[in-house]
Amino acid sequence: MLSLTLKEMRAHARRLTGTSLAVVLGVAFLTGTLVLGATLRANFDDLFTEVNAGTDVVVRNATDLGMDSPRGPIDLSLVDQVAEVDGVEAAEPVVTGYGQLLGADGDAIGGNGPPQLAGSWVTDPELNPYRLADGRAPEGNDEVVVNRGTLDAGDLALGDTTTLLTPEPVEVTIVGVSTFGDEDGLGGVTFTAFALDDAMAHVAKSDEGVSSIAVQAAEGVSQDELAARVGDALPAGLEATTGTEVSTEMTDEIASTFLDMMLMFLTMFAGIALLVATFSIYNTFSIIVAQRARQAALLRALGAVRGQVLRSVVAEALLVGVLASVAGLVGGIGIAGLLKGLFDAVGFALPAGGMVISVGTVVTGLVVGVLVTLVAGVFPAIKASRVAPLAAIREVAVERTAPSVARIVAGTALAVIGIATTLVAALGDEDMLAAVGVGAVLTVVGAVVLGPVVARPAASLLGSPVARLRGMTGGLARQNAMRNPRRTAGTASALMVGIAVVTLFTVFAASLQASLDETIDRSFGGDLVVNTGAFGGGGISPQLATELADLPEVDVAVGVGQGAIQIEGDTKQVSVADPAELSQVLELGVSEGSLDDLGAGTMAVADASAESNGWQVGEAVPVTFADGSTEDLTVGATYETDDLVGGYLLPRTVWAPHAVQDIDSLAIVDVAEGTSTADAKAAVTAVAAETSSRPP
Amino acid sequence: MSTVTHPAPTRVAAARALGATKVYGSGPTAVVALDEVSVDFEAGRFTAIMGPSGSGKSTLMHVVAGLDSLTEGRVLLGDVDLGTLSDKELTLLRRDRVGFVFQSFNLVPTLSARENIVLPDRLAGRRPEPGWLDEVVGTVGLADRLSHRPSELSGGQQQRVAVARALAGRPDIVFADEPTGNLDSRSGAEILGFLRRAVDDMGQTVVMVTHDPIAAANADSVLFLADGRIVDHVEAPTAASVLDRISSLGG
Repeated sequence: MLSLTLKEMRAHARRLTGTSLAVVLGVAFLTGTLVLGATLRANFDDLFTEVNAGTDVVVRNATDLGMDSPRGPIDLSLVDQVAEVDGVEAAEPVVTGYGQLLGADGDAIGGNGPPQLAGSWVTDPELNPYRLADGRAPEGNDEVVVNRGTLDAGDLALGDTTTLLTPEPVEVTIVGVSTFGDEDGLGGVTFTAFALDDAMAHVAKSDEGVSSIAVQAAEGVSQDELAARVGDALPAGLEATTGTEVSTEMTDEIASTFLDMMLMFLTMFAGIALLVATFSIYNTFSIIVAQRARQAALLRALGAVRGQVLRSVVAEALLVGVLASVAGLVGGIGIAGLLKGLFDAVGFALPAGGMVISVGTVVTGLVVGVLVTLVAGVFPAIKASRVAPLAAIREVAVERTAPSVARIVAGTALAVIGIATTLVAALGDEDMLAAVGVGAVLTVVGAVVLGPVVARPAASLLGSPVARLRGMTGGLARQNAMRNPRRTAGTASALMVGIAVVTLFTVFAASLQASLDETIDRSFGGDLVVNTGAFGGGGISPQLATELADLPEVDVAVGVGQGAIQIEGDTKQVSVADPAELSQVLELGVSEGSLDDLGAGTMAVADASAESNGWQVGEAVPVTFADGSTEDLTVGATYETDDLVGGYLLPRTVWAPHAVQDIDSLAIVDVAEGTSTADAKAAVTAVAAETSSRPP
Repeated sequence: MSTVTHPAPTRVAAARALGATKVYGSGPTAVVALDEVSVDFEAGRFTAIMGPSGSGKSTLMHVVAGLDSLTEGRVLLGDVDLGTLSDKELTLLRRDRVGFVFQSFNLVPTLSARENIVLPDRLAGRRPEPGWLDEVVGTVGLADRLSHRPSELSGGQQQRVAVARALAGRPDIVFADEPTGNLDSRSGAEILGFLRRAVDDMGQTVVMVTHDPIAAANADSVLFLADGRIVDHVEAPTAASVLDRISSLGG
């Protein structure tokens, strides 16, 4: 029986190749995703381990508010204290923070995901993950060392002067070129390094606070040992972490930000390809089985039991699945390599290193590919095994052409319920969004079920102009489409799924855009918004809002910053602004209390957040800040509209003392009465350009 | 497996139908294809079944061969009552004890002649008996065509492959459904000659449905069906005597 299966496959090789292409692509995307993920993770891990090799222990603030919020500063004087700990070879302060470097054309370099960093140049090469590749280390006077990838991207060179936004503009001179280990950079991260004093002045904005202390162990002292000893010497609120652990954290951070985003995107592609593959395999096997019905009947007459016929078709699906999955596996490894090369080519420096192809990846790729093919092939196989032996002898149409009553009833019911649910839910209020989805899916399923019923009349109707225009050829085409409605419907279904998927993405993207626009429209009393123009990154100086407010064209200008706090151990994202001013430009829909009265020791909370925490206005809540200090804040007001400011709103006066780096993410402007929006926009743009991209 | 290696001295029935009735459909549109037919197909003999279209001759063959079920009555193959068998048992019985030759050759196009011949053995997971296979292949004169695909063979050659396939498993009984219907007269005569030799030389039992009096003349006896009943039968037929009988029945 197996030899027969193989021979049948050879006979249908072309059709099967076409079918298996879908499986190949699906498996290729899937394994490509897995291989790329594992490879990049391993490569980053290697890279971090290598560049941090000299750093045995890192001293830093113990309060961790997550990746989006830098840790609080620690006191510079601790460096000497740490250096005296037994087993410490060297200890050096490190400053890291936000810094956007402008390229030769005046535009910011990098961003859109990877962080834009500025900080101190660590003088001890053992403790510095960056290496000096060209030029010299910075020695003050706003001299900087910039990583090579950033310089290339910004068309800058050694000796150039440019502007760094921290977010206040600082004019810097490039005296050195650095590499991250041997790489031109770390992904798309830009890193501009000052001498320590400059870094503290511009980035840390403090004369005693630094970000962390890098510590090197003396010969024979292990990282764990040293971390324990240094930890004992530290005041409360600080921690000593081993270099290995920090490397792992860095890898995890990279993985959970851009790697996961990219991999999710690829996984989605893989899923769609596999979905389309399922349909196309089902379709192909249905056609093959229908063509071979007489042969199946012959085998049954000659003494093949049902199981043998079933198994022969399943074996065929299995073989197609295995061959396609293996091809997909190889293709996937190729895709991973290609993508990595592509990232490198567009200047997104990824660490070098071999491909990581784990057993898990291989098994997952093969199992998914084979399962998809099997599932899609098993129904046609069952159908093949049900053919009556007599069909081999009688010249009867083996395929049933009249659709069953059950199909008509079930299909119509599904389609009607689906369309009704969709309409009712779509015309109803927003809460029924899930019902719209359910209705749409039911409608699609109904359409698939009804396909064979409507295929004949539809082909007849749609084909009639073709038949009229193209004569004999057109008439034959129409008849062919009508003759086997099931096959016609199957082919159409595959196309339908493809179009449904494309529609899904288009509608999703459009909805996202629309709801974003709506959010801004709804809560916006303000006329203009100033932001950095970058997605997910960048910042503007809090000073900008003050300067804008002084313009005659502007009535009110409010800067809004973002940050993180900890409440009962949970990290919460907060917006930082002057609540009284904010209420003039944003309609927050205050439910209780008043934003105007918010001052020291208070905060405003969205209704939803207040409800989930069980807070009332007037209640005092202990809040931990990035610098590790905890303050009791009284809930001064609750508001309804939380889509722009989020669940928690802190007055700037409460936030500033604890802020690691005070950066606004946007400024909202209310235009003065009697001034046109266009005039105001011109004035605001001029000031914004002045403050953020040119030195004062 | 084969219980008949020589023409049976005492006439044992290889297959028999007892009050076999087959009704297609139900109610007023019901069609009676077989109407209480009782007949013995004697072992080691070549029996032809004749009759006009719709007489039930094909239905009779299908129910005796285990391809179709009866509405009433019994069919025995050897001493096995086919009505008591499940679909799977019936399939295995066809595989092990029945050979088929169809009008439209019915070979698997992707398999070579040899692979087609041993297909029932392969389905059973058996190795074909080499000596017997050579004998059968030699009998039908296919020794030099075994590696050819059906599409590379003439109609007569294809039907010879089908005959070899039917004989290769040493079945208890071979059913041939209009085996010469799609062949020219020379190829047809060859096929009938092979079936004849299978009975004479190998002791095979053959039942053949045909509407060709010349084909029927190769048989040991001819049954005539009309309207689902056996209406006549002729022993040691000749083309002339069969024709004669047909015209008398028709008139």
